[in-house]
Amino acid sequence: MTESATAAGPLAGIRVFDMTLAMVGPWCAMNLGAMGADVIHIEPPTPRQMPGSERPGGGVPPSINGTSIGYISWNMNKRGLTLDMKAQEDRANAYELLKTCDVFLMNMRPDVAGRLGVDYETLSKINPGIVYCTVTGWGQEGPMRELPGADGQINHFTGMSTTNGVEGASEGELYRHSTQMDASTGNYATQAILLALVARKRTGRGQRIDMSMLRATTHLQPGRIGEYLARQTIGPRLGSAAQVVAPDRAFETGDTRQVAVAATSEAEWATFCDVIRKPELKDDPRFATNADRVDHRSELHAILEPVFKEYPLDYWVLQFRRNRLPYGWPMRWDELRYHQQVQDNGYMQLVPSTAPWGDVWTGGPPYRFSKTPERWFTTPQIGEHNDEILRELAEGRGSSTPAPAPTNAREA
Amino acid sequence: MTGPLFGYRVVELAEGVGGPYSAMLMGDAGADVVKVERAEGDRARGWGSKTAGDFGATFLVTNRNKRSVAVNLGTPEGLAAVKKLTDSADIVIVDAGWSDHPDLQPDAIIARNGQAVVLNISEFGHEGPLGDYPPYGELGAQMASEATMSLGVPGQPPVRVGVDIGSMYAGIYGLSATCAALIARDRVGGQRIDVSPFGCLVAMRSTLWAALSNPDEWWGFHLDSYLKPPDNGYHTKDGAVSFTLGRMTREQRDELYKDYDMEWVKDDPMFDLVDTDPGGSGSRYGWKVRPVWEKAFAKFTTAEVIEIGRRHGATTFEKNDYAQMINSPQVQHIGMVTSVEHPGIGPVQQLVPPWDFSDTPAEIRLPAPRLGEHTAEVLTEAGYAASEVASLKSSGVLVGA
Repeated sequence: MTESATAAGPLAGIRVFDMTLAMVGPWCAMNLGAMGADVIHIEPPTPRQMPGSERPGGGVPPSINGTSIGYISWNMNKRGLTLDMKAQEDRANAYELLKTCDVFLMNMRPDVAGRLGVDYETLSKINPGIVYCTVTGWGQEGPMRELPGADGQINHFTGMSTTNGVEGASEGELYRHSTQMDASTGNYATQAILLALVARKRTGRGQRIDMSMLRATTHLQPGRIGEYLARQTIGPRLGSAAQVVAPDRAFETGDTRQVAVAATSEAEWATFCDVIRKPELKDDPRFATNADRVDHRSELHAILEPVFKEYPLDYWVLQFRRNRLPYGWPMRWDELRYHQQVQDNGYMQLVPSTAPWGDVWTGGPPYRFSKTPERWFTTPQIGEHNDEILRELAEGRGSSTPAPAPTNAREA
Repeated sequence: MTGPLFGYRVVELAEGVGGPYSAMLMGDAGADVVKVERAEGDRARGWGSKTAGDFGATFLVTNRNKRSVAVNLGTPEGLAAVKKLTDSADIVIVDAGWSDHPDLQPDAIIARNGQAVVLNISEFGHEGPLGDYPPYGELGAQMASEATMSLGVPGQPPVRVGVDIGSMYAGIYGLSATCAALIARDRVGGQRIDVSPFGCLVAMRSTLWAALSNPDEWWGFHLDSYLKPPDNGYHTKDGAVSFTLGRMTREQRDELYKDYDMEWVKDDPMFDLVDTDPGGSGSRYGWKVRPVWEKAFAKFTTAEVIEIGRRHGATTFEKNDYAQMINSPQVQHIGMVTSVEHPGIGPVQQLVPPWDFSDTPAEIRLPAPRLGEHTAEVLTEAGYAASEVASLKSSGVLVGA
């Protein structure tokens, strides 16, 4: 895990103009920064007027020492620059900076780019190599193009929330799944930008990418939506059970905890029956194949429920682990944070910072490069690198110079 | 015009959802993707219900734009064929079901092919006590990171996300990392990338981990903050909506209350919490006033709730099931669904690729392959003589067409 803080990430030499707000755009650029790009996060010098909050990060609660965790946790791996895009001098600086950038990223409604002078037409003239990515809620076209979109609304609009919940629950009882639609869209945007940078090696030009939360987050649900499109039927809510595999759910154990178990292939099903000491199930025609078990899910669950109540969680974990079958159990926050698996893989870390919010827990990055190490470092304070970046511009330094190597949190 | 990964060759040694989804996106992006399967086929071919037809849609929508080669991996000749394919690939995707074979471990592949970018998907991470976890960690990973902390009702059994998001995230992050490694390849050659569904799920919850660092206020996972229980959506007379007040003046809100026939709340100090609560309709405010809104919205149709809300500056949308979503004017307008012809099955509707490139468009060229549909074609391209392929087929080393 040790690596030199000066070893460059895979995107060393790539510079990103990160004109984003709230979560989707910042999250996307944060990942480019983790891979070594020099990400310059732009904030207006006076606080933005955001629906719901005037604070950076969408004002998402809670705050730490007054700053929204939204701003803190979605803007790591960046340098901070303030620019007033409506003021002439700042806009000129922006254009100078954009000449040295490889990527322009923005997540505002479709009409905003033109107003701020950063539409694709303008920027591609300044820099034909620029990969220009905009992220909107609902797309650049269509009757909903001008409407705002955020995580919760996209979750509900795309049907995602109808897939989650206790079996037979009514909608009001459901707990939805927060911030995954924002982060997922951000991840698809990261992917699109990187694909375009790969394409640029072949074509020699930049291009325009339109991402929408609507299109990205439906892609997160291909199996479920695929089942609907193929058969015009909508799968039920199944609590902890999977839709297309059985058995594949959590069961209560003898010590009133929950063990999650699955058999995802016919070979695993045979082993599963032996592990729970019910070998006769292997010859039961109702459970002959996975498709049969899915169709007789309720009968199967009725047989399995008392079985798992016979022994405590630890017994089942040992049995399933020993036989190389999938298993798991719900973890509390402290159990997860200090789990040996999380520690050994560095999946969660305390990112050191001298900013008012102090050291902050984060997950990620979730990828490890064997030769070009990823990195993770603290969020800049707003405008923290104004002098540094403007000085670099004045000295004519382009993006070919590797980005400064900040403290590598992984090593701290 | 061709996709951004045109010219790149991908070999997929993976099953289930994560690796195959990542490879499919590479195919959508124009890469030539060869899916290698064991003689019994990807286990996901059997996922789904029997009564719903003779195929599972999960497999069809995570394996388009690929060619399938099926081999008997237990034979030296079968293994040699797989090695030969990986030796000339730009990208190799390996998951836990394949990487336990010494010759197919990521580092072994790179030792033979120094230009290969190898995407290594383990279920819980390459290191640590669960480094040898069997293929398919979706359930365990979701349980560990999601089930008790964001879904489910306290004191009741856990609830998982309705889609295999852990595996999906591994595929999504995996593709991003792969592209980054392709960009760095000119500088450093091939390399290995490690991702896991578990690690991705932990990363995707970063907002919550930050929230737990040293927050100014915290009420616990189920009463904490932004958009949770209060933002489950609301029933209307004929459907359901999402609803957030957003940034509105006091006057706008009073007008809104009037039109929703709940004017009396103007004088309830509980409703003023929204001014000081940065979570908008979430957190303390939303949790407390939810029952009042529930009663109000139940008296209007979805269209009425949305019309009234938007007129006064609130953010409100339909809460859809898949049928309503697919048939919505917006989804229809931007053309998110396309039909893919599957030989022997007929047309299957599926979502178009997620990105919109102006210069290098993604496209769907091939339906999900039948098991071993392209065995002979791909191996002939790789340098095998037709007679050799035929003899390997008759001896059971190769499977399929």
